Amino acid sequence: MISGQEIYSRQCANCHGEKGQGVDGKYESPLKGDLQIDELTDLISETMPEGNPTACQGEEAARVAKYIRSSFYLESNNPSSNSVRRSLSRLTAEQLRQSIADLYGHFQGNGWTQEERGVEASYFAGSRWAKDKLQVKRTDPVINFDFGRENPASGVTKEEFLITWSGSLKVDQTGRYEIILRSTLSCTLKFGSNERVLVNNHVQSAGKEEFRRTLQLTGGRAYPFTLEFIQRKRKTEQPPAKVSLSWIPPSGVEEVIPPRHLIPNRLPATFSLQTKLPADDRSYGYERGTSVNRQWDESTTRAALEFAEIAKTELYPKYRRSHKDIPDENREKLRSFLTEILQTALRGPLSDEISTRYIDDQLAAAEDDGEAIKRSILISLKSPRFLYPTIDSDRSISQRRANRLALVLYDSLPADPWLTTVIAKDGMTKDQEVSRVASKMIRDYRAQAKIKRFLYQWLDLGDAEEITKDTNLYPGFDAELVQQLRGSLDAMLDANLKRGGNLRELLLTDRVMTSSALNDFYGESWKPQPAENKLDTEQEEVEILEQQEPESPVATGDEPENPASEPKVAGYLPEPASFSESVLNPEIHAGILSHPLILSHLAYFRSSSPIHRGVFLTRHTLGRILRPPSEAFTPINPNLHPSLTTRQRVELQTGETSCQVCHRKINSLGFALEAFDAVGRFRTEEKKQTIDASGRYQPREGDAVDFNGARELAEYIANSPDCHTAFVESAFEYFVKQPINAYGNDQLDQLTQFFRSNEFNIEKLITEIACIASDPQFKEDKPIRLSASLKEQ
Amino acid sequence: MTLSRRKFVRDLGISGAAANFAMGLPSLGWAASGSSKKRLVFLFSPNGVIPKHFWPDQAGELQSLKRILAPLEPLRQHVLTLQGIDNRIKGDGDGHMRGIGCLLTGIELFPGDVQGGSDTPAGWSMGISVDQHLKNRLQENPETQTRFGSLEFGVMVPDRADTWTRWSYAGPNQPMAPISDPYQMFDKLYGQTQNKAMLASVLDDLSDDFRKIESMVSPEDRVMLKQHLEMVRSIEKEIKSELQLSSSEKTTRHPVPQLEPNVEEQNDNMPLLCKMQMDLLLSSLVNDFTRIATFQITNSVGNAKMKWLDIDEGHHSISHEPDSNEEAYEQLIRINTWYCEQVAYLAKRLSETPEPGGEGSMLDHTTLVWTNELGKGNSHTRNDIPFVMVGGGLGFKTGQAIHCNRVPHNRLLMSICEAMGYPTPSFGNADYCGDGTLTGLYA
Repeated sequence: MISGQEIYSRQCANCHGEKGQGVDGKYESPLKGDLQIDELTDLISETMPEGNPTACQGEEAARVAKYIRSSFYLESNNPSSNSVRRSLSRLTAEQLRQSIADLYGHFQGNGWTQEERGVEASYFAGSRWAKDKLQVKRTDPVINFDFGRENPASGVTKEEFLITWSGSLKVDQTGRYEIILRSTLSCTLKFGSNERVLVNNHVQSAGKEEFRRTLQLTGGRAYPFTLEFIQRKRKTEQPPAKVSLSWIPPSGVEEVIPPRHLIPNRLPATFSLQTKLPADDRSYGYERGTSVNRQWDESTTRAALEFAEIAKTELYPKYRRSHKDIPDENREKLRSFLTEILQTALRGPLSDEISTRYIDDQLAAAEDDGEAIKRSILISLKSPRFLYPTIDSDRSISQRRANRLALVLYDSLPADPWLTTVIAKDGMTKDQEVSRVASKMIRDYRAQAKIKRFLYQWLDLGDAEEITKDTNLYPGFDAELVQQLRGSLDAMLDANLKRGGNLRELLLTDRVMTSSALNDFYGESWKPQPAENKLDTEQEEVEILEQQEPESPVATGDEPENPASEPKVAGYLPEPASFSESVLNPEIHAGILSHPLILSHLAYFRSSSPIHRGVFLTRHTLGRILRPPSEAFTPINPNLHPSLTTRQRVELQTGETSCQVCHRKINSLGFALEAFDAVGRFRTEEKKQTIDASGRYQPREGDAVDFNGARELAEYIANSPDCHTAFVESAFEYFVKQPINAYGNDQLDQLTQFFRSNEFNIEKLITEIACIASDPQFKEDKPIRLSASLKEQ
Repeated sequence: MTLSRRKFVRDLGISGAAANFAMGLPSLGWAASGSSKKRLVFLFSPNGVIPKHFWPDQAGELQSLKRILAPLEPLRQHVLTLQGIDNRIKGDGDGHMRGIGCLLTGIELFPGDVQGGSDTPAGWSMGISVDQHLKNRLQENPETQTRFGSLEFGVMVPDRADTWTRWSYAGPNQPMAPISDPYQMFDKLYGQTQNKAMLASVLDDLSDDFRKIESMVSPEDRVMLKQHLEMVRSIEKEIKSELQLSSSEKTTRHPVPQLEPNVEEQNDNMPLLCKMQMDLLLSSLVNDFTRIATFQITNSVGNAKMKWLDIDEGHHSISHEPDSNEEAYEQLIRINTWYCEQVAYLAKRLSETPEPGGEGSMLDHTTLVWTNELGKGNSHTRNDIPFVMVGGGLGFKTGQAIHCNRVPHNRLLMSICEAMGYPTPSFGNADYCGDGTLTGLYA
C-alpha cells in the first residue's frame, strides 16, 4: 500500500513543497490550517491536485490528510512554532502618546475613577465668583440650555449671573475631536489644565456665538474642564442666554456631549500630544513597533519638542511652586525637576553617566532654563531607553514588572505617583504583589479604555469606518442614526464592563441599550424597558438634582407661582441621545453579535452579506484559519436575479467545488444571521420568501453542529471552545503585542482554562495576561538572561 | 536700472494719489513687483500724548522737533507728522475701547458686554484692520507673499483678551492676539532651525547610548537597534551639512538674533522686552519673513509703571491728571518720550541696515506708523490722534509736518492702502470715506 507521505511527495509536493513550506511561483504560502481529518480528506478528494481532482480520492486522500496533519499542517505540529520568540519593539504610536501623557500626569498626582456622570454646575447671583453668591449647586447631565430671557435658576436673576460647569471629559478612543461651544454670552472654557484656555470669549460681542476647536485627544483619559458662562449687567439690551457644549468624535457626527462622557468632578490635569504620528504595522492583527524609519523618527522628534514645551510652560512652574525647599542656586531646582522627569521617562534611576550627559551637559549648553529643559527632554525622549521599553535588564525586578504592567494595561510607562512609590520600595518581587498592583491598575480608565478598544477590534469595529446605506430602501438610516448605534453598543459594553466584563453575558444578552431615535427606527423590540422592570442598575440618565438649596434664597417676588406649568429645570433642553435598556427579546436581541452596528457594518449598501458575516464569525469569533479567495470576485448583481433571496444568490455564486472548500464554512455561519437585513433590522421574509436562517458549523474538535437563527447561533458560540480560545488569544496579542506562544506552547490552553474557570470574566483574564507578561524572567529570551547573569558574575 | 516710482509719477505729470490708483491695477502691477519691497509697521503706545510737547508748531518743513519727538531728531528728514486727523467712530464702547478697537479698523464695535468707565458696553470690532487687509492683499500675490504675511508683536500686553488689548483684527469679531513673549516669537521665527541645530547636537550623544544598550538584547533584536542607530547617524550628518550650508549663506547678512536668557514678562523688564522684540522684528524684516507688522506696547488704558524713569505710578492713572498737575504733566512728557525712544531705536536700526538686494537702507523701504488710542489722556479726545510716520516705505514726503483740517482717520487708512499699491474706495465705515484719500502726502 502506498503511504500518505509517498502520495504527497508524488502529487502535492511539486506545488506545496516537500514539507508544506510552499513553492515560489506555484502555491507560495505554507500549507497550514485547522481542518479536522474528515474535512481535510473531503477537500483533497474533491479539489486536489488542482486541475486533476480525480487523481487523489477516497482512501488515498485520507492517507494524505493523515500524513500532513501529523507532520506540518497543524499549528501545533509545526516545529517552528516552538521557536516563536518575543521580538524587540519600540513604542507604537499609541504607546508614545500614552507614555507622554503619563509623563505629564506624573506631576499631577494620582487620578481616580468614579461612577457619577454629568457636570457639576454652580449658579451664582452676580457675574463674579463669590462664595456667598452661590445660589444653586447641582449636577447637570449635559450642557445644553436655553434660558432665553428668564432667570436661569431660583435665586439667580436674569440680568446678572455667572454659571460655572466643571467636570472632566472622559475619552475612550484616541483620535481627533472637534469641540464646539455655542454661547450667546461671555464665556471661557479651560480644558486639560487650569492654565490652558481653549476658548476665550471674555468679551461678549454680537454675532460671535460659535467656537470650534479641533484637538487630538488620547484615549483612556479624563480631561478636566471648566466653562464659565456670564451675563453682565449693562445699560444696553442683553442677548438671551443660550449655551451648549457639543463635539464631533472621530468619524462621528455632531452631538451634545452625552452624559456617559462627562464626570462631575475635575480630575488631575491632562496633556494630549497634538503631533501627528505615523500608523504602525498591523499585519499581525495587532499594532507592533517593529519598524524604524525616517517618518517615524521625525515624529518622535516633534513629539519630544511638543512635550518639552508643556514641561517648560506648565510642569516646571508648577514644580517650582511645590518645591520651595529645593534651593535655586546653581539651577538645583531645575536639575532636580529634570531628574524626576528623566527617571520616569527612562523607567528607572539615572546612572551618573546618564545624569551627566542628559542633564548636566544640557544645562551647560543652555543658559536659558527653557532651552535647557528642551534639550534635556529632547535627548531623553529620543533615547533608546525611552523608545524601547523592554530593554531594561539593568533595572530592579519591581521596575521591570511595573514597566511591563504599564505597557500591557495602559500602553504606557509606570508614572503614577502611587506606582512609582511601589517601585521605589521594590514592592513587586512577589507574585501576589504583582497581582495586587495589576488588579488596581485594571480599574483605571486607561485599562478600561484599552479593554473597550480591544472589544471593538474583536467585534471588527476597530477602524470605525463610515456606514452608509441606500436611503431609498432604508429611509432614516443616516449618519445620526449610525452615531446612535455606536452610542448603543458603547453603552452595552460600558454596562458589561462595569461588572468586570463577562464574555458569555455579552454573547447571550437578550436586550440592547436603546434611545428614542433607535426605537423609532428599529420598532417595538427597541422600546425602552419600563422602569420597574429594569434589571440593570446602569442608569444612563443623570438626574438633575438640586443638591443644595440656597441658604438664603433671594425672594424675587415677581415670579408667577405656578410650578405645575414650569419645566422642572429652567432652560434645560432635552438630550436626544440618552440610552436605557430595551425590553427583552431573545430572538431579535440575540447577543452582542446581532447588534445592528455590527450587522450593518457586515453588509452591502442594499443587501445583507452572509459572506462578510460568515468570515467575521469564522475568523474573529471562532478564530479559524481562512485562506483568501484565489481571485477577487464581484458579487452577483441582485438585479440579474430579482427573484432570488440573498441566501440563494450567495449559494449560486459560491456553488463551485473550489469555492466550497471555504464557503461551506463561511456561508453556513453567515446564513444564521439572515434574519437581519443590511441595516441589522429583524425580518421574517425577503423577496416574499420566508427567511431561511439555518446554519451549521464544524468545530476544530468534535461533531458538526446545526442551528437555526441568531439565538441558537449565539447559544452555540457562547459555549464554543473555539470561541473561548480565539477570544483569549486575541486578547493576549492585543494587550501584549507579542504572539502568545512566545510565552509558552501551552499558554493559550492554560489561559483559556483560567478564563473558563473564572466564569469568563474579562477583567480577570486581562489581569492574568498582564501578570504573565509582567514577568521578565518568564521564558526569558536567552541572550538577556545571559547578559544579566554575566553581569552578576 | 529700474525706473523709480517717483520718477515715473513725475514724468507722467499726474498727482501722486492718481498715480497710485493707476498702479494698483494688476496690469501696471508696481506693488506686485519684487524689485522694490514696501514694508509697513504700526506701533502703538497708550493713553494719549501731551500735544504741546508733541506736535510741531507749524506745517511744512520740519524744523527742530519738540521734546517728546526729540529722540527722532537724528532721523528728522525721514519723519512725517500728521496732525488734525480724528477718530470719529461712534457707537458702543468707551473712548479707550473705540480708541484702540477702531484705530486700524475705522469701523464701529459690535454691541457687547464689556463695560468701560463711561458710555455703553461693547464687543469686538465690526471689521478687518488695515494691517490684516494689506497682509491679505500681499499674500494673494506670489511676488509679495512672505512666510508669515504679518507678525503681531506685543510688549507687556496683559494676558487677557478684551477690547482694550486688541487692535489688529482678521475680520469682524476676529481679534488677533499679539505675541508678547519674545521667546515665543523667537520660536515662531526660528524654532525650526533652532530645533534642528539642537537635535544635531544631542543625536551625537545618543550614539553612545545605542551602543551601550546593544549588549542588553539578543543578536536578532540587535539588528533593529543597529538599523535605528544608522538612521540616527545619517540624520545627524544631514542636519549638520544643511546647517553649515545655510549658516555660511546667512551669517554675514542675517544673523539669528541672540536673546538674553530667562527674561520674564514683568513690568520692570519692559525696556529689555521691548528691545528684544524690536530686534526680532528687525530680523524678521531683514529675512523678509513679513512686510507687515504691528507692534503693540502695552494696551489701551495701559498702566506701565516706568520705574526706570523713576516714575512709580501707572501710566494710565497719571494720564487722568489735569494739566495743572505739573508733576504729572512732566511725567507724561517723559513717558511719551520713552515711547518715542523705542520708535527711534527701531528706525535707527533700520536706517543702519542696507536694504537686502536693493538700494539704500531698510528705512527707505519701510514706514513706521506710530500711533495712539487717544489724542490726549485727560480729555479722552480722539481728535488729533497722534500719527507719526518714519521712513520711506509708503513713498510719502518726509521731513515735513502736515496739518489736516479735522479729517476722519478712515481717509488716512485709505491713503495707506493706496500707497501700498492697493487703493480702495473706502476703508472701515464708508460714511467717513467720501472725501477720498488725503492730499499733500506726496512730494
